[in-house]
Amino acid sequence: MDLIVEGVSHRYGEVQALDDINLRVADGETLALIGPSGCGKSTLLSIMGGILAPSEGRVAAEGAAPDGCLNPFTYIFQDFALLPWRTVAGNVGLPLEHHRFDGDGRARRIAEALSLTGLGEFADAYPKQLSGGMRQRVGIARAIAVRPALLLLDEPLSALDAQTRELLMEDLIRIWARERTTSVYVTHNLNEAVRLADRVAVLSRRPGRIKEIVSVPVPLDERTERRHADLIETIREQLWRLIVDEAKDADRELESVA
Amino acid sequence: MLSSFKGRLVATAFGAALAAAALAQPAQAAEKVVVCALTFVSSSPLFIAADKGYYAEEGLEAEFKFFRAAQPVAVGIASGDCDFGVTAFTGGFFNLAGKGALKVIGAQSREEPGFDFVGFLASNQAYEAGLKSVEDLPGHSFGMTQVGSSFHYNIGLMADKFGWPDDAVALKPLQSVPNMIGAIKSGQVDSIALPAHIVAGLTGSGSAKLIGWVHDYTPWQLGGLFTSAKNVSERRPVVEAFVRAYQHAARDYHEAFNKLENGKRVFGSEAEALVPIIEKYTKAKPDAIYAGSPFIDPDGRLKVDQIYQQVAWMKKKGLVDESVDPKSFLDLSFISGHYGVPAN
Amino acid sequence: MSIGDSGKETSVRFRGGGFAPRPKRWASWLAFAVIISAWQIASMSGALPALFLPSPYEIALALQAIAADGTLARHLGASLGRIAWGWSLGTLAGLAVGISMGIWSLARSVGIPIVSALFPIPKIALLPLLILWFGIGEPSKVATILLGVFFPTVISAYSAVDNVPRNLIRMGQSFDMPYAQIVRKIVLPGAMPGILAGFRISSSIALILLVAAEMIGAEFGIGAFILSAGNLMQTDQLLAGVVLLSMLGLLISALLARLERRVLKWR
Repeated sequence: MDLIVEGVSHRYGEVQALDDINLRVADGETLALIGPSGCGKSTLLSIMGGILAPSEGRVAAEGAAPDGCLNPFTYIFQDFALLPWRTVAGNVGLPLEHHRFDGDGRARRIAEALSLTGLGEFADAYPKQLSGGMRQRVGIARAIAVRPALLLLDEPLSALDAQTRELLMEDLIRIWARERTTSVYVTHNLNEAVRLADRVAVLSRRPGRIKEIVSVPVPLDERTERRHADLIETIREQLWRLIVDEAKDADRELESVA
Repeated sequence: MLSSFKGRLVATAFGAALAAAALAQPAQAAEKVVVCALTFVSSSPLFIAADKGYYAEEGLEAEFKFFRAAQPVAVGIASGDCDFGVTAFTGGFFNLAGKGALKVIGAQSREEPGFDFVGFLASNQAYEAGLKSVEDLPGHSFGMTQVGSSFHYNIGLMADKFGWPDDAVALKPLQSVPNMIGAIKSGQVDSIALPAHIVAGLTGSGSAKLIGWVHDYTPWQLGGLFTSAKNVSERRPVVEAFVRAYQHAARDYHEAFNKLENGKRVFGSEAEALVPIIEKYTKAKPDAIYAGSPFIDPDGRLKVDQIYQQVAWMKKKGLVDESVDPKSFLDLSFISGHYGVPAN
Repeated sequence: MSIGDSGKETSVRFRGGGFAPRPKRWASWLAFAVIISAWQIASMSGALPALFLPSPYEIALALQAIAADGTLARHLGASLGRIAWGWSLGTLAGLAVGISMGIWSLARSVGIPIVSALFPIPKIALLPLLILWFGIGEPSKVATILLGVFFPTVISAYSAVDNVPRNLIRMGQSFDMPYAQIVRKIVLPGAMPGILAGFRISSSIALILLVAAEMIGAEFGIGAFILSAGNLMQTDQLLAGVVLLSMLGLLISALLARLERRVLKWR
């Protein structure tokens, strides 16, 4: 399924957060949204998933959702958003409970999502017993259990430490290789962007506009290979140059506001 | 400025001279006593003694403290805040007295034939349904202030007289007289017992029906004059002086209010003279004072056997501790001629 | 100790340990034992006259006496019944209103000013009214406790619902969960810790109001027992009743602790 963003602008009161955003995310593609703090990337993600109505413009989907899709636009949250009183299996099953399944269809979906994320043996554990990385794997399992047409990831790894982040990136690449889900990935971390995205959209600061869209012409599973290291590094440098001045501004502004 | 200062100086000097004169008075300084009571007509001798100067005649300077319930009066004596008190006898009173802090030295009022004092009332609904006399009370509810109160003993006296079983009358403690009045008016309890002047008001307005007076069935020494054990042992002359003043006033009261002619009460000019005094302290209307004036022994003599009987009944009901012995809290040496004193 | 004495090795003194008070069970029992023995010794030596404060032994005897003649069971039975009815009904009503106020803005706008106006009224002051409405029988006693329990339950339920993390509700919405399921599966379990904490407060209030509820027309009940012991100046029985009340308080708090451990085992 393709996602089309047409002329989306958004204002919070007086503040213009987004200005005339036009984007097309192709089926099976992963688009990263990067930009300095306050560029409106999370706002754009909320508008894309239909949980925020834009002031202007529209978002459309084109093409069929995958078979068995229960929730076309599905989020993965920075803070995981797990119910602490439910087990891992209970959390993964939560978005399935208001849908009808034949026989043990629901249990099979849960088991499938758990095994895909390597959580099989933790099905009966409670979130507080898990590490941060495992908790976000539960968040991912919950998202893929509904077979989404579009996966919306809101800084999914930023609450995790560096090693865990590496491990989860591998997991995401493996899952995408299998599911081919269209994804939009918001991050402020350039390494995540160049590792996970097919294209990287760079947003400018307030109002958020698309400054440039950079393609990463290396297949996901080859990006850590030595022969691509220079190209990847060049793209990273390019992205950094695109945001560095505004990142400095943003940093200073936060201080003056404080 | 200066002149006003001078004036003040003069005034101060004058005041000092007055004070010195007062101190120089040779007569022994009046002994201060704190008298604690309820503002009931049954406390009248205390008020008459104050108003007519009987305390002063005995060299006493009485200060009144008024309470809204009997219990605090007894507690006040036990704690030393009061020297003399007059209230009805209750379970709480006997328990406190039994711990050795109080001495009963004279009488307050008592139930005496011909003198309407405490009457039984039936609610209109219960009356219609057949509660026409005290004998009909079994099977009905009875509202009272508290467990162990004089109202509780009123129903106990009837139960003993008629031989009712323990739970024949359902007792409903309602904490206060206003609550009792509310409950009988609305029919939430079938019966209550109340003093005559309130009975008159309730039956007069048709809010409840009178079904009998306590004195129709049994005599009862309702209350007493008491002081602290400490006063009896350490300030005996003061206690004797107070008793004399009390007796003097009790005789006045008795003369005025306790006359019977052909079984009917009569009030003469003596009563008219005393009513304003009683009115001043009790804030009761003259009609209520006449209606509610109980029988008070002219010499403050107690019906001692009835106190023994009440303590025994309360012990039987578990309202008074087994260790309480009336002998230990009665001091009959201040007044002669008490009735029904046990032989031993 | 000084750092820098050449060539001399000293171990670093431990200065940590933090500031984390840990309950020591034996200490609380010991404190109880010390206080009670000191009290008993003071009573026996005559420093504490029985008129003003009976000794623990006398209180125990008074308790034993009412236990032996069966009145204890009648008092306990009467009071437990009133508490059970008053607390359960007050809690049910309070939860319904409080949760509604947490969920619906209309209920919140209507409820907050009303609750704020009515909560501070001492329920004992309303007793005469309650008696007019419900009579002097059981209903007015249950209503007294019910009213006392209702308001704190409303407030704790309302703020517990209000404090359910917004991100969890957003998550439920992002999965298109139906409204009723979000309430049942996210809001209510999320409010459970706050609601259970409210139970502790409301159960204590129920015990406190027991004495007030049993002021009028109660022949049996721990509150009635305490009141009549006070009226009769039977201080040993009065304190025996107080001991019963506090034991009842301990028992209820232990039951609630068990309930919390069960319901909130995920914490």
